[in-house]
Amino acid sequence: MKQVGRRVTGLTNTQLAAGKGTFVNDVVLPDMAFLAFLRSPYAHARIRSVDISAAMARPGVIKVLTGEDAYRDLRPIPEAWNTREIGAKGVLWYPIVKDRVRYVGEVVAAVVAEDRWTAAAALDDIEVDYEELPVVTDPIKAMEPGADLVEPAWGDNLLITRDWIAGDVDAALAGADRVVTGTVRSNRITGVSIEGRGCVAQWDAFARKLTFWESTQNPHPLRSFLAETLNMSENSIHVIQPHVGGGFGLKQPPFQEEPVVAHAAMVTGRPVKWIEERAENFMATGHSRDTRFEYTVGFNADGRVHGLRIKVIADVGAPTALLGWGQSFVTGYSLPGGYDIPDTNVQLYVVVTNKCPWNAYRGFGKDAQSFVMDRIMDHVARETGLDRTAIRYANFIRPDDFPHSQPSGAILDSGNYQGALDKLLKKIDYAGFRALQAQAAAEGRRIGLGLGQELTPEGCAMPGALMISAYDGATVRVAPSGEVTILTGVTSPGCGNETAFAQIAADVLGCKLETIRVIQGDTELCPYGLGNYSSRGTMYGGSATQLAAQDLRNKLAEVAASMLEAAPADLEAADGTFFVQGSPDRSVAFNAVVNQVYRHTFGKHAEGVEPGLESTRYFRMGNIYHQPETQGRFSNYPAWPFGSSAVVVEVDPQTGMVKVLEYTLVEDAGTVINPLLVDANLHGAITQGIGSAMYENISYDENGQLQTATLMDYTIPTAIEMPMFSIEHQETPSPFTPLGMKGAGESGLGSTLGALCGAIEDAFPELDLRITDLPLTPNRVWQSLRTAPRKDGSGFGPSPSATGAARPAVAGAVEAIR
Amino acid sequence: MITAELQFHRPGSVAEALELLARHGDDAKILGGGMSLVPTMTLGLARPEIVISLNHITELRVIAEDAAAGTLRIGGTARHNDVIASPLVARHAPLLADAARHIGDMQVRNRGTIGGSVAHADPAADYLPALVALDASVVVRSTRGERVIPAAEFFIDVMATALAPDELIAEIRVPSQGTARGAYRRLTRVEGSFAIVNAAALVRPAGSGASVVAIGGVAGAPVAVDASTAVSAGLTGSALAAFEDAVRAACPEPFEDLNGDAVYRREMAVIHARRALLAAAGRAAAGVTV
Repeated sequence: MKQVGRRVTGLTNTQLAAGKGTFVNDVVLPDMAFLAFLRSPYAHARIRSVDISAAMARPGVIKVLTGEDAYRDLRPIPEAWNTREIGAKGVLWYPIVKDRVRYVGEVVAAVVAEDRWTAAAALDDIEVDYEELPVVTDPIKAMEPGADLVEPAWGDNLLITRDWIAGDVDAALAGADRVVTGTVRSNRITGVSIEGRGCVAQWDAFARKLTFWESTQNPHPLRSFLAETLNMSENSIHVIQPHVGGGFGLKQPPFQEEPVVAHAAMVTGRPVKWIEERAENFMATGHSRDTRFEYTVGFNADGRVHGLRIKVIADVGAPTALLGWGQSFVTGYSLPGGYDIPDTNVQLYVVVTNKCPWNAYRGFGKDAQSFVMDRIMDHVARETGLDRTAIRYANFIRPDDFPHSQPSGAILDSGNYQGALDKLLKKIDYAGFRALQAQAAAEGRRIGLGLGQELTPEGCAMPGALMISAYDGATVRVAPSGEVTILTGVTSPGCGNETAFAQIAADVLGCKLETIRVIQGDTELCPYGLGNYSSRGTMYGGSATQLAAQDLRNKLAEVAASMLEAAPADLEAADGTFFVQGSPDRSVAFNAVVNQVYRHTFGKHAEGVEPGLESTRYFRMGNIYHQPETQGRFSNYPAWPFGSSAVVVEVDPQTGMVKVLEYTLVEDAGTVINPLLVDANLHGAITQGIGSAMYENISYDENGQLQTATLMDYTIPTAIEMPMFSIEHQETPSPFTPLGMKGAGESGLGSTLGALCGAIEDAFPELDLRITDLPLTPNRVWQSLRTAPRKDGSGFGPSPSATGAARPAVAGAVEAIR
Repeated sequence: MITAELQFHRPGSVAEALELLARHGDDAKILGGGMSLVPTMTLGLARPEIVISLNHITELRVIAEDAAAGTLRIGGTARHNDVIASPLVARHAPLLADAARHIGDMQVRNRGTIGGSVAHADPAADYLPALVALDASVVVRSTRGERVIPAAEFFIDVMATALAPDELIAEIRVPSQGTARGAYRRLTRVEGSFAIVNAAALVRPAGSGASVVAIGGVAGAPVAVDASTAVSAGLTGSALAAFEDAVRAACPEPFEDLNGDAVYRREMAVIHARRALLAAAGRAAAGVTV
């Protein structure tokens, strides 16, 4: 039975559902000590002095580390993205700050103690003398001349700017029938993994070996980063990734905490554990998406866009070694989404502030790109009076126009956006919605439909960046028993890619699926690889698995052919049997062939093949262009999944409460290896999209104090708030992967944001309602509704007929009790 | 994280608990279900040296009726789910069960106690407006004796109550709703989170006392607004408008936070007060028992 394309349940399901996984906090070692971090309470301050004497005197405290230690014994943290390579400014970031803190949460000291509670209590004993410095919190003000500076040495607050130009935008705008402008803003958010970060370090001074367990997404790069910061040899470090309770990008190194924990283990001689608290997660793990867009768009009466200028202003927080700011780059880089707008100018301003740095979070800037394009398309629809679908159809890149180049130089591999939208409209009976809406209105209910269009570049490879590249490796091994082990350089944060690898290998080898075991996340077992991010797990890990499995298949086929007295090319293999094409009775068991290789190495059938059944292969992705062309542009995303979604919401006009009633997505991430697990990923992505658009918001006050450091203040939805999801797949294969897959890890998220805004607007056809800012809190929606002018000029706010239909009936009933 | 060492007591009787409170007073905190105290301690907002758990005092978890007095007596450590499931609560104070159903999530309702919620007195807690609307009393005890404090007087400000440091909440005493009908409405961003505003309405038939709507989440303590005039006028447009103006006037300076500014909170107080009132009136008219 062919396994690729089957809805196989996840290989790790039983273990994880039974609560028998091993997460980092389950790693308990003899004589283990605990570490706690002292973090800056100020957004920007000079450190005059740090006095650790009281902390050292507390019973149970083993060691206190400060910036003095870090600057003396450690080296700066290497950058996840190579900033100089792409013309960005960087900083030297040490694992512990010595002179100046730049955001609430930056590491100022660390305490190692006999237990967690003592370590945490001793933080209060450390006396730090801070001198407060001017705080930069508003990215617009931060760009003004004479603004206070986050990094005085930079001379301004701009980490990078880009001015990507295609065609002649001014001429196009001048020639367009109409030109409109707008401003929209996506909110500052974070991904809330149930398990926070955490690590355990163990130093064997005699073997000179550091073993490091971390809830990380990238064990091998982490090993390289640790070696650099700790100034030790890379092969002295063994990184083990236990089960990961959610990553979503935010567990990508290099953080301050990792080398501190490792160093603490080395200087104390004790195993040391650090487990992040939720407040630390909110203040230091990383934020994303906080972006303001100012656009000018020209268009003709037929809805065709002629000329687009978008200014992207991203507030990326303080500069560090983390790769999060790159999300703003990707937003600009992937504009104008899936639309063919020859005259486009994208102006990117990446602004630093005294806030927590951005770190990667699912969507990685593509979400913001999809959001602003959906808002622009809906804006054009409103102005032209054409249907929102008509505007999208009129401007899509055509299926035969690939490869297609964005103004940034990004090269889109393939796509069929019309096809996905066609499927969506059919699936939801788009034309029938107006009748449903009218029926709801008659009941006094306001429902609206919104459309989202997403373009999700995947498989990133940044020039000069160790961790971010478009290759990965896999080892496939067949044991004498015939059982198969796959070891991969990519990892799984719970998304199920291990199951996909088993399916791919089963098809190539012709073995039974249940005989396959997958091992990931161990730098001493697995081939060097870059872990999981950018939806690369199955795309690269699966392709590498396929290559390695094919090597073994070729060898086994040669042996089987000898056994069956047939030509290797005439053999097929499935479900643990090799057989001659067209003659299934001429067959030999998979295990019997394996047996020949191991036990009859010098026998008749195996004497012609190299002994052993193991192959390690690396897959190198195509469609990456790093050698810059004339404008200095490069293309670093090789695969471009996309999707169309539709959402139906009900809005309570009196309270601004929005309820999501239905969510439908047609996604296209190329070939789907396992539709069940892809659907599960999409459910999560849609939920995170809806959550970030409607509920979540990181808030700072003007002093740079974080106001949302608990889950009481940072509202996330649960299954209760979610509708049932309806998902359909379209498969436009990648021309660059052997099976055609493009990566679905981030798909489903980008189209939620604009779709929800559009749905709210659609629920009030009588209003000129413009939803511009996320999140869509009840307060904000209510405010937008009451200030929105009615199209008939009769005033502001929803027409009263639709705001309280239930009232007369109840009031009538009340007569009875008088 | 709770970093300080503390003394933990688990008395087996109310008398024993009162002795401990008399001895330790201000240094002690009472632990009911831990749904408020533990997060408060975890955040470092409370650092008691002594914690006295009431979880081993079985007499405190009893829900009983006093038929002669026409009151319902809910022990201080009755869990929210006890209140929700109790036939006595359903008979005498269904409005309270209505409110309890919205507290936190299932785990919180299994652990959290009515006494704990009342003592913690979060201004947006679900019980508070319901207790005020029901004209309930908080029965508190210490070695000095017993006090019966009307809910409207018990709640003073944000997390501030009339409870003295040596007192514990023995019981919540609720006059039976009788023929009055209640309704509870709340505005919340997601299930399980605290309300932005909430409102509990109790509508009494003509001649059997005042109708009232109590509103939470806008001020330090529940705000009660008399609805008798509006109800006796049949909740007509103008009577309802006057009631709404009274709600507005009763919320002069509503709270502001990340979930709602003052203007929004005031209008939401109005809308939820109206919705609760209309729902209660509708039930009263239809003769429904909840």
